[in-house]
Amino acid sequence: MATTRGAYISRTAANWAGVVPFLAFAAIFLLLPTVNIVLGAFRGPDGGFTLATMAKLFEPRLMNSFWLSIRVSFFSAALGALLGFLVAAAIIHGGLPKYLRAPMVTFSGVAANFAGVPLAFAFIATLGRLGLVTVILREWFGINIYASGFNLISFWGLVFVYLYFQMSLMILIITPALEGLRREWDEAAQSLGATSLQYWRMVAIPVLLPSLLGTFALLFANSFGAIATAQALTGSSQSLITVQLFAQIRGDVLQDPNLGYAIAFGMIVITAVANAIYIVLRTRAEKWQK
Amino acid sequence: MTDQAALNTMTVTDTPKARRSVGSIFSWVMFAFGVIYFALPLIGMIEFSLRKRRDAYSFDAYTTVLGDPQFQATFGYSLMMSLVTIVLGMALVLPAAIWVRIRLPKMRPVIEFITLLPLVIPVIVIAFGYLRMFNTSSFLPMTGSVTGTNILLAFGYATLALPYMYRAIDNGLRTLDVQTLTEAAQILGASWFTIIFRIMLPNIFTALLSGAFLTFSIVLGEYVFAALLDRPAFGPYMVWTGGNRAYEPAALAVIAFTITWGCMGLIQLAGRLFPHTRAKR
Amino acid sequence: MKFMTLLTGSVSVAAILSASLASAQSMDEIIEGARAEGMLTTIALPHDWCNYGGIIASFKEKYPFLEVNELNPDAGSADELEAIRANIGNTGPQAPDVLDVGLSFGPAAAAEGLIQPYKVSTWDQIPEAIKDPEGMWYGAYYGVMALGVNTDIIDTLPTDWEDLLSPEYANAVALTGDPRASNQAILAILSAGMSRGGEPGAESAELGLEFFAELNAAGNFVPVTAASGTIAQGQTPIVAAWDYNLLAWRDSLDGNPPIEVIIPSGASLAGVYVQAISAHAPHPNAAKLWMEHIFSDEGQLGYLEGYCSVARQVPMNEAGTIPQDLLDRLPDQEPYGRAVFPTVEQQGANSEVVTAQWDAVVGAAVQ
Repeated sequence: MATTRGAYISRTAANWAGVVPFLAFAAIFLLLPTVNIVLGAFRGPDGGFTLATMAKLFEPRLMNSFWLSIRVSFFSAALGALLGFLVAAAIIHGGLPKYLRAPMVTFSGVAANFAGVPLAFAFIATLGRLGLVTVILREWFGINIYASGFNLISFWGLVFVYLYFQMSLMILIITPALEGLRREWDEAAQSLGATSLQYWRMVAIPVLLPSLLGTFALLFANSFGAIATAQALTGSSQSLITVQLFAQIRGDVLQDPNLGYAIAFGMIVITAVANAIYIVLRTRAEKWQK
Repeated sequence: MTDQAALNTMTVTDTPKARRSVGSIFSWVMFAFGVIYFALPLIGMIEFSLRKRRDAYSFDAYTTVLGDPQFQATFGYSLMMSLVTIVLGMALVLPAAIWVRIRLPKMRPVIEFITLLPLVIPVIVIAFGYLRMFNTSSFLPMTGSVTGTNILLAFGYATLALPYMYRAIDNGLRTLDVQTLTEAAQILGASWFTIIFRIMLPNIFTALLSGAFLTFSIVLGEYVFAALLDRPAFGPYMVWTGGNRAYEPAALAVIAFTITWGCMGLIQLAGRLFPHTRAKR
Repeated sequence: MKFMTLLTGSVSVAAILSASLASAQSMDEIIEGARAEGMLTTIALPHDWCNYGGIIASFKEKYPFLEVNELNPDAGSADELEAIRANIGNTGPQAPDVLDVGLSFGPAAAAEGLIQPYKVSTWDQIPEAIKDPEGMWYGAYYGVMALGVNTDIIDTLPTDWEDLLSPEYANAVALTGDPRASNQAILAILSAGMSRGGEPGAESAELGLEFFAELNAAGNFVPVTAASGTIAQGQTPIVAAWDYNLLAWRDSLDGNPPIEVIIPSGASLAGVYVQAISAHAPHPNAAKLWMEHIFSDEGQLGYLEGYCSVARQVPMNEAGTIPQDLLDRLPDQEPYGRAVFPTVEQQGANSEVVTAQWDAVVGAAVQ
């Protein structure tokens, strides 16, 4: 007969058996590399603790890259959030036929994953020099967009392309929140004499605000870490911080092997903060959905 | 205006139906914008891919791509890696998800936090971490050989797919009353093996399929890991094609998009073929 | 067996020609060593660059026991050196065995200790001017700088570098890589500088940078890495690249779109590419077999098929080894006659100025 202690040990072991592989995997392949990065960011060439490596992040070349990435992320998140919200609101509360809702949501699910290389190809094929829209505008309407300065391979071109997965992600996330706006509130507002605009301004948007801001933060983080689309579209001409890190990994182009750690650490901090904002705001928003 | 005055000036406005029509114009405009923005690039990419032959639409770009040995090699490699990743992912996540539900509910926040990490940390940072952690001068020199690098890549893919795999399996388990099922099975004398493989798995089959297809889609399109580890995967092949071929990149994009759509469709189909009902309390 | 006769042929040639091989190994020893290694890792060898696709295929046929692991075909010369540096101590498949870099990168790699010496059996047939006396690096092929134009998008063809400043080439002109890393791009700048009257070296670098700054200010420069795909899709309708590359791209696009290859009417610049074995090569014997292959008749003919002029062209021509139709296919030889071959020192001076000042003069304005 097993002692109480023996039974306790074997029961604990049985309790943990299923999660051990998962935790071991997470420890070796998630936590360890991350800790290594954090430690490496504060390591100098001699191996000792130093803030000099992190200080190098503030030199113009890397600062410009960080700033460029932040700007791209900010605009693609802001526009994506705004336009995505308007499209979703139009479908759910805009009096459009009900059967449009499900296809839009399903399509958004696919579009949100249609990032990376194929997305860049699709936009080059549409708005590039020889793209469908460019050619149609030139042949049918006589408008030569490239002669008037439009260029897909530019800052705004990149933001425009990013909108594809940003808008669709926004639609996916805001739809449940929009559906959570109870009809009774709208009817109550109407019966009190509020116009549509007043309803949105004073009732719906304040309720949705945590979701909107939270999703904006999520979109920001989503765009900040993107690299495949940018590389396929703009090559290394837009020196985003992800592009810099990629080049640094391939070869030490920044002449400081520890700088890669610092860049990686900086990126983790920014995306972690953005995601934390998202999670906090989402928890607050969910109170309205119960 | 005092509240009383405001109440006095109130009138019952038009019925809800009439009010909607004013907002409708704006709604239709936004909807049209959405449709145009999302559909045009798809149309453009299909049209461009048909332009390989001058002055005539043809599928030449597709025949070239599908016949290209590089395409076949890299697609096959990514296909194999996705299968490995799916098996690996399920082997890691499934026991953990089940155990958390039955035995260790307190670990749930920890596990969920871990599954959020790959979404928070950018992919390129994870790739950087792997390369610094597992190169030949570390305790686990995985980049020192072709097999080692392939294994490292598989673990990298599993990390990327982790959030989706966990969420899919967790959603599947949520619809089962795992606790009662397990207790009932144990009372009837079933072993753990039977419980997991003969009772739970068939019931969360759709969820597993959904996780598998999501993983497949992720692995197929993944570029950063494969490029930095110098593995002949589909992602780097697509990037290379984009720089070195004219019409084939659009054809590849169409193929990639069709595969993603196909996976989504198959998930829906599986959901309809293998319906499971919510456990009744 | 065919390759045995080839081997005995080259061994006897070696015995006749050279008295000093940098390695004391015999061909058989090298093959045995390579058999044990089982793999060759190459880098930066696009299949349509001088017909490397064909050369690699013939190499695999010759040595079926060797697997060829091709890294990053789009890498530039500086990226290749980086790949060696990043993989010192790593014997895995990410470490390159052999390099194919621009002339100025050879001595730089040797000075840094990144490459090891090896003299191929046909060493004596390689012109003195393009090889290192110690055997560290050795030139294999060369071409002249040209401009490729997508005539579907561009109506008037430019004849020289100055024409590119015209407003009708807005958002049109591109280089094939980052001038800080790609030999082809650095030498394009040299070529532009020469067209403005600069002597190859620091002067051509400064004049070239001036030109590109003006090009960028006029809005004509596209900061995207150009290749056949981007020319055809329209992002980079005009590209400065080696004539052999432009011709190969023209062929692969097969008229859709049509590409015109134009040699600048002013100065003509020739660029040599040198081969070297990495000092940290995981498979040194396989690397030696590769070198023997590309300097063999078969390898050199392979280059010629890719429109490249080769190191052993004169002796091979005299020996009658080159088929007439291959010679006829080569690009117009007039620019080759008047081409300037910058020396290692001149190229080095040019690179120094370009890498230091590209960011400031041109790069800073690039968004």
